Amino acid sequence: MSNINGKVYAMSAVTPMKPWKTIIVRAIFFLLWNLKFLQKDLRDLSFIEFARWVIVPAGKFPHLAASQKQENLKNDYMFFFSNFNGTWNQYIDAFSAVLASGLNLVWRWSDKFPGSVPVTPFKQYIDRVQFTTDYYYTSYPHATANDLKSAHIVQASFDSLAAQAETSSPEQFAAAYRKFVLEVQAHLGDTGQAPIVF
Amino acid sequence: MPNQNGSIYGLSILSPIIDDPSVNPSHDLQIREILATLSTGAESPFAIAPGTHMARFVVLDDVIFVGYPSVEEHLQSKYLILESNLDGDLDTYLRGLIAAAPQQLDAIYNHCVGYPGSSNPRAFVDYMKSCQLETTFLFAAVNDKSLPETLRALQTQRAVSDFIVTHQGTEPARLQSEFAQFAAKLKSLPIPKPASTTMHRELKIGGRNE
Amino acid sequence: MSKLNETDIQGFVLRGYNLPFARYVFLHFEDAARARKLIGSLLPLITTGQRWDNGKPQSTVNIAFTHRGLCALELPEATLLSFPVEFQQGMKHRAGILGDTGHNAPEQWDELWHHNRVHAWLGVNAQSPEALEARCAALRSLLTETSGATILASQDAAAVMENGKPTSREHFGYTDGFGNPDYLGISRSTQPGQGKLMPDGTWAPLATGELLLGYADEAGELPVSPLPYLLANNGSFMVYRKLHQNVATFRKYLNDLSTQYSGGKEKLAAKFIGRWRDGTPLELSPDHPAPSIVEDPNRNTNFTYGADPEGTSCPIGAHIRRTHPRDAFGFNGKLIDRRRITRRGLPYGPPALEDQPASDADDRGIIFMVLNASISRQFEFVQQQWIEYGNDARQGNDKDMLLGNHGGHGKFVIQGDTTETNPPFVCAHLPNFVELRGGDYFFLPSITALGMIAMGLVDPR
Repeated sequence: MSNINGKVYAMSAVTPMKPWKTIIVRAIFFLLWNLKFLQKDLRDLSFIEFARWVIVPAGKFPHLAASQKQENLKNDYMFFFSNFNGTWNQYIDAFSAVLASGLNLVWRWSDKFPGSVPVTPFKQYIDRVQFTTDYYYTSYPHATANDLKSAHIVQASFDSLAAQAETSSPEQFAAAYRKFVLEVQAHLGDTGQAPIVF
Repeated sequence: MPNQNGSIYGLSILSPIIDDPSVNPSHDLQIREILATLSTGAESPFAIAPGTHMARFVVLDDVIFVGYPSVEEHLQSKYLILESNLDGDLDTYLRGLIAAAPQQLDAIYNHCVGYPGSSNPRAFVDYMKSCQLETTFLFAAVNDKSLPETLRALQTQRAVSDFIVTHQGTEPARLQSEFAQFAAKLKSLPIPKPASTTMHRELKIGGRNE
Repeated sequence: MSKLNETDIQGFVLRGYNLPFARYVFLHFEDAARARKLIGSLLPLITTGQRWDNGKPQSTVNIAFTHRGLCALELPEATLLSFPVEFQQGMKHRAGILGDTGHNAPEQWDELWHHNRVHAWLGVNAQSPEALEARCAALRSLLTETSGATILASQDAAAVMENGKPTSREHFGYTDGFGNPDYLGISRSTQPGQGKLMPDGTWAPLATGELLLGYADEAGELPVSPLPYLLANNGSFMVYRKLHQNVATFRKYLNDLSTQYSGGKEKLAAKFIGRWRDGTPLELSPDHPAPSIVEDPNRNTNFTYGADPEGTSCPIGAHIRRTHPRDAFGFNGKLIDRRRITRRGLPYGPPALEDQPASDADDRGIIFMVLNASISRQFEFVQQQWIEYGNDARQGNDKDMLLGNHGGHGKFVIQGDTTETNPPFVCAHLPNFVELRGGDYFFLPSITALGMIAMGLVDPR
């Protein structure tokens, strides 16, 4: 029962919204999805591996059998699931510092959201709406988003070099190898254990 | 297509947990206990079945009351959340899951309303889909690489790093022949298993220091 | 922002004194009442932040307390519990978080730190050894008179001298002391490169609250502080770390590797840190040192990494690039504004002359002190995430070349280009060039707070 697995942290949060506000949030996500440039900052903050929002309208909690009581909710609920690298504090500090307006755009419609700046009341709000993850699985616990991107670059360059290894002369290969090293030189960080959480 | 981002599918499942006051401990507590001891490593159902990058289970006890003037309200049932980031097609994924780990899934989902069991894959897939929520927005840092590609790339990165270190300053003919051997060996290695955290470096790469 | 009352703030927080001789005295309080009396007697002697417009004093005195020290002074429970968790636990307890394991583990530390008896740090800086001795003698008398504390141990430190003049070199031969942050209201003049990067490319001072408690910080609020406000206001937290330097190991490693590196020995040494040994930043002069840049305060720390994303001038994992990333993480440098630290400190031990052999067993190194408003958000973060780890710099688990706790493993990649003298180059099998020999977390109260402590007048609310 841990929010952490290797280098990834699972944040799970649920916030209540008045139903008329849900329409606005959906519109915002629609824009965010279709105007890819709006996602640039999210990508540049390179510590998120996967993240999602799931809006569950008041009447849409799954109801599977007569034996199950019907829900009777006034609020819609927005679930947020993030898989990120680094510490909880670092993650929230970073968003508060550089993506405050984006955060506000998504969460201001949730009840009692204090704004993402300043950061201390924001962290208190997250403490209140965050759930403990009961079970967290990752297929690559020792790799961060940065490691993944680097690994793919190395793989592509390696495949290229391997393709010509057989057919070139030693001098040609040496030149190709030098070019290969230059391509991967910024992408050779070790993968391994995460630092201790604090 | 919000459930999908590139080649990554975002599965969000909300399964009602059976509410039966006569059961002690209650169904949700039993799920919690199972999840607390379920392996998160190479023995995990998500490691054995193909296609899971990252997944979590969360027992949703209740919605959260954030304080006046927000309306205080409560859920009638508890729910089991499954959030999974996976490769490919949903049907294939779910079938893969129930085929790989029927006992573990039974142990968890037997506590949920309407669970048909693991004997009929079609029924399992339908059950999960009946609890599926539409992911409103899915973000993925890398959205165009499958899990096997990812595991292979991580293995390659480590091996390449070692090769570069040990072949610094090696003269051209030797470099080429040792690289050729290295490349052949690397290609022949199996794709590492998901969630295996062993740190050993499998490849002997030759070079000055070995 | 409010104007700083410099007479209420300990000078050590606000300025590097640039006095070449120092002694750090570690005290233990046996009895709260006598200890408070001692502090009361010390109070008039504490050097404040008042400007030395009439010339430098012969010596300075400052005082700081561990959490155990504040407990020994019998501050109220509620106050003691309101201090940040990391300060309450102390640095030894945080060893796992900081990567202080193996060679750097508390078991390897000096005797002084073994039994959790350090209550206070007295920092004495002086212009000359004579002035230092005189001041320390006077302080010892005060200790004896009041029976306020016992001296557990002292640590001497001094600038490395050259021709009788103090230099800012340390024992590996690097020129140190660049790039301490500028803070609003504290720095009389700012140097481009020391503050925070603005969207238009200029540098502005950091918010005062990144160093001093009680002032607005970079997150748009007052930093989390202990209670009461008057105890915390104008105070700061200090991290003290005694870093032993393995000079022989460093020299051998550098010499051995230089034979393989076509850029030559000095360039290799520069690539480890990000500055040539004379202090010239690699970003400004990648091919050779440039004294004219070093001597110009408008230039010697005025650079960014935007034009060098591949690390070909200054390696991505070089020390100064790790510890002050500037714009390297994008967003105009905004992500790092709350991870800045002020460094103070001096080398200790006999100087290691370039042409004389040096042994790892020689007792020399650097006394490294950090001042910040939040130990966990600033120092601990930099130590854990940027020195002993490399993900933010996109270097995976690779550690800082010089400070990292390598244990013989790990690597440092020097990115290069197609130039003959600037090839890509990997330094592997890294030894521990630096070993931690002790330290702790301290609180440096304001003059007002010292008075409250001395008179036993601290109320939690």
